Amino acid sequence: MKFLHLVWKSLMRSKRRTFLILCTLLLSVFLITILQSLLATLDSISNKPTEGNRFVVRHKSGLTQFLPMSYGDYLRQQPEVVAVAHQQWFGGYYQDPKNFFANFALDESTMFVVYSDRLMGLTDAEIKEFQRDGKGCIVGQILADKYGWKVGDTIPLSGTIFPINPRLTVRGIFKGRMASEENTLYFHYKLLEEGVPFMKGKTGSFWVKTKTSDDIPRLANRIDTHFANSPVETLSEAENAFYLTFVKMLGNISAIIHGVTIAVLIAITIVTVGTMSMAIKERTTEIAILRAMGFSSTRVLILLMAEGLLLVTLGGALGIGLARLVAKILREVLGSSLIFLQDFHLANSTIVLCMGMALVIGFISTIIPALTATRKSIVEGLRAL
Amino acid sequence: MMNSSAPIIHIQSLAKSYFRETLEIPVLQGLDLDIPPGGFYALMGPSGSGKTTLLNLIAGIDRPTGGLLEVCGSNLNQLDDDELASWRNENVGFIFQNYNLIPVLNAFENIELPLLLTPLSRAQRKEKVEEALTLVNLMDRRENYPRQLSGGQEQRVAIARAIVGNPKLLVADEPTGALDAKNADEILEMMKRLNEEFGKTILMVTHDPKAANCARHQVHLEKGILDKTVEVNR
Repeated sequence: MKFLHLVWKSLMRSKRRTFLILCTLLLSVFLITILQSLLATLDSISNKPTEGNRFVVRHKSGLTQFLPMSYGDYLRQQPEVVAVAHQQWFGGYYQDPKNFFANFALDESTMFVVYSDRLMGLTDAEIKEFQRDGKGCIVGQILADKYGWKVGDTIPLSGTIFPINPRLTVRGIFKGRMASEENTLYFHYKLLEEGVPFMKGKTGSFWVKTKTSDDIPRLANRIDTHFANSPVETLSEAENAFYLTFVKMLGNISAIIHGVTIAVLIAITIVTVGTMSMAIKERTTEIAILRAMGFSSTRVLILLMAEGLLLVTLGGALGIGLARLVAKILREVLGSSLIFLQDFHLANSTIVLCMGMALVIGFISTIIPALTATRKSIVEGLRAL
Repeated sequence: MMNSSAPIIHIQSLAKSYFRETLEIPVLQGLDLDIPPGGFYALMGPSGSGKTTLLNLIAGIDRPTGGLLEVCGSNLNQLDDDELASWRNENVGFIFQNYNLIPVLNAFENIELPLLLTPLSRAQRKEKVEEALTLVNLMDRRENYPRQLSGGQEQRVAIARAIVGNPKLLVADEPTGALDAKNADEILEMMKRLNEEFGKTILMVTHDPKAANCARHQVHLEKGILDKTVEVNR
């Protein structure tokens, strides 16, 4: 500990240089942390915890096309099927377009069977009350907390895709497995069908629950074969594959993020190596003096390494702190319009990875000039004045 | 353990050569010298005579290419680099021509540096640094950084740093070379005092006859060979 003061004073030798390299490190670690966290969040969409015996049937041409509601009858007739729920993204907002969150019209009679794993915490009485009230809705806990909603409150929803503005009554507040699930509102499908003539007898997708997960491939294949060559062909896919569709809409984001991360790493390594080399080289005489006084080469090497590592640790910690702040802002500001951002957070593994990268950069950039400086003879170092 | 009557520096057939690629450049050849404890020796000679090289060898910051070199009871040839570093910390104080203080440390911190390598507590280190500062009359400048001190004051801080660990041997390379006459006199007086009152053995490289006359003996080197040793009548 008695050397920490010496390390700190050496680091603060050129405050402007230290500040600039600290800023460079901070921004690099921030950028890498945010990008890697974004990637992790997108990955988590496709690896979302799902109930193994659930899959989705949608229009083969895309998510914006509708399926005939009559398809549901065929699905329900299949022996492997436990329940089928039709569902449509409503895309409404609450009071102001800024208050945007996920809201769906959903088959109220079967949704609690199909989504038994993500609609939790509701009492039987609440479920019955919701099913009874055609203008009822259920909301996730996070959403209820955000807007201060309670059971019995009226929520006016303004449609953006469909020309209706339903006034819904909160009949229950549910808990989900993830933040994005608790940021969701569900209301009766009939309300959409009755309010929007062109939606009569149509739905965006069917969510099908089977007896076992083994049933899914066979059943999905049977369904798609059955509707093949019909005017409305289907695409049946596992829940994760369905979520992945949204990620794929963003293009090959994984390759872009990895590419940017590598470019930033290379750039910051070059900058840090240059800075540390310069900082150590200009102290050649001082290093020789310390060694003449009795500091061993190893001790001087450790002091120089400590200086470099302290710098990157500070830069890394500040970068991660900034990333945490930005992640919170992104969740709160953009989470309502980009639903996947509601689950955006810095995973511990990402923080460890980014700090690890920063420390490796610090080590690489310091070890070479430090070894060169401490291997030089004392006499040569004293002559460098 | 060193015998009190034995020389503090015992040199026999000392040789040092530098190599430029395959070319050997001899700097010191077959040098014999004994310096008793408490001696004050001035190393003199023309440029290139090998006096700084000899000083560096005795101080343990360079290695000879031949001969015996015993300083403060240790055969320096037998010490590895880490042992030599530890030996320097315990036995040698350095005073350089350009003071060589660490610019980011204040006077107190500069003087404390050699003590960081010892097991002394913070309070003990503080006590010793303050003793050294008092000795060089710089207690009032303890918080000042080198850039805030005059050349003479910087050299006094350097002297305080050299003596704070209570080394047996002080080596000084042109300690007054960068100072004006008044400051040079003060520094020389201080060195005389360290020798006479505190019994420090001092080895000083100098071109300045006035500085050399402060020493008790003058060792003259010529082309890497010991030319003569003269006792000074002060």
